[in-house]
Amino acid sequence: MTTEDTLRILILALQLAFVGLLYLLLFAFGRSLLRDLRSAERTREAARQGIGRLTVLESPEDEPPVGRAIALGPINSIGRNVNSTVYVEDDFASAAHAMLTFRGRSWFVEDQGSTNGTYVNGHRIDRPVALSYGDELMIGRVRMRLER
Amino acid sequence: MAITWRGTELRLLLPLVVLVPMGFALAHIVAAGKPDPGPLGLALAYVALVLGAHIALVLLGHRGDQLLFPLAATTGGVGLVMLNRLPQTLAGMNLFGVEVGMATTQLVWFAISLVAMVAIAVFFRDDGILRHYKYTWALAGAGLLVITFLFGTEINGARLWLSIGPVTFQPGEAIKIVLVVFIAGYLAEKRALLAGANRRIGPIKIPPLPYLLPMLAIFAIVMVMVVISKDLGIALLFYGIFLTMLFVATGRRSYVLIGLVLFVAGSYVAYLLFPHVHVRVDNWLDPFADPTGTGYQTVQALYAFGRGGLFGEGLGQGLPLISGHIPIPAIETDFIFTAIAEELGLVGAFALLALAAALVARGLRIAILARDDFSSLMAIGLTTSLGLQTLIIVAGNAKLIPLTGITFPFVSYGGSSLLASFVVLGLLLSISHRTAADEGTTG
Repeated sequence: MTTEDTLRILILALQLAFVGLLYLLLFAFGRSLLRDLRSAERTREAARQGIGRLTVLESPEDEPPVGRAIALGPINSIGRNVNSTVYVEDDFASAAHAMLTFRGRSWFVEDQGSTNGTYVNGHRIDRPVALSYGDELMIGRVRMRLER
Repeated sequence: MAITWRGTELRLLLPLVVLVPMGFALAHIVAAGKPDPGPLGLALAYVALVLGAHIALVLLGHRGDQLLFPLAATTGGVGLVMLNRLPQTLAGMNLFGVEVGMATTQLVWFAISLVAMVAIAVFFRDDGILRHYKYTWALAGAGLLVITFLFGTEINGARLWLSIGPVTFQPGEAIKIVLVVFIAGYLAEKRALLAGANRRIGPIKIPPLPYLLPMLAIFAIVMVMVVISKDLGIALLFYGIFLTMLFVATGRRSYVLIGLVLFVAGSYVAYLLFPHVHVRVDNWLDPFADPTGTGYQTVQALYAFGRGGLFGEGLGQGLPLISGHIPIPAIETDFIFTAIAEELGLVGAFALLALAAALVARGLRIAILARDDFSSLMAIGLTTSLGLQTLIIVAGNAKLIPLTGITFPFVSYGGSSLLASFVVLGLLLSISHRTAADEGTTG
């Protein structure tokens, strides 16, 4: 075997090793990706029973009426604007008061720069806050509870 | 900031220690004709930079996604191997009278970009500066475009470069990010309105246009400027990002439909009006009509893909020279994918695309898990920018769509492109970090 042959074999071996190592790395990435996807799938199954609803506890203007359970979609706007998902007819509510969004694994409420603020369990929020089932939301004078 | 152990990231970065130097050695052995690995300084420097960035993230307590950076580093590593294999005189810089080769220049830009990425990932906490000044950012971006249009230098038929002193950069890359920030801010604010009320024209639901107008106006300005500066690739990219973000924010397919219709109409008009578009499209439809003139680049690229086949010619063994140089113009920038496809074959090209797809998947995951609408939309826009850019240039190389002057993120030679791509990565990492920090996990 000449030195040229050994060189050719060396080059071929290196070419294979290069692409081979690249693909090994690809599979490692793939495994990590799949692992994360599966854990996400598990949490999604749990939430599939319906992501939530708002039960109205207090409502001076009776819109929404007390006792009503408002079905929630993944994105909900709350405010005095008639086109809001959750229409709140209250003098102390702003037109676009808050956004209630289901993201990833939990609910988030974000104040939309309302005049009187959004209150979660009695505390005024200043940045997006995660809500758990059972938390109470106060928009103007309307109090609602997030339920499953 | 407590030190956070980023095991997955380290595990995925370590193979690069072998991969990149091996690529360099292989190219040198082929070129020299003897088993001499040659100078591995650049390869080792790259590995050191990458590991250094990882260590920085660990020490600074970063808890964002652990797959993003390894994906980019691997893609960049393969790119660097390719750039090193190509003739070093194709591009480069002149530093104080010393001619610096292509791969070395790219490494320098890697260093700068990695620093930027780590800085943004770790220190960028308050996105208020982005979301509250969105109109300022938008106007700054538009202004930059105007400046480029008026004072820019035209290279290869497109005026998208600005020269300031010794540095030439592409403002289009920066404007891309500014655009994402502006649209994210605007959509986050107006989301409920845009997704809600409709008016009807006959049976068709028309979205509430007054709410769209400010955004459409700014977007129109951007598009006009981009089209005038003959940079169609960037125009397509911006439009794609815009439409994607609009759909994600509002969930309304009618927007996408209207957008596509407008795109087709606009493209047709552009085809009729602009001679350079006409040339590009004709060349795309039949490059062999003028194989030595306008179709030269496309034809040579097609030959390269053909030569590459399934497994490639081998690193360093393909790309035959014609009269002393490689017949494919812009091989280190727009056609770097072609070079990889020729030498590493479909196998290698597919690997690169798989990396890009994984990057998009992680970016979308970051968007889903983000805490608020603005971060989520920004993540969508940034991810789309990386993914769509890769798609446009790969499809252009392979003659699936007309060729455009866009770079392959992380792979193509070019400081502006590299810096912008790593800035995008840094922003994605910072969004991911904030989500993880709130949840008490590490991404």
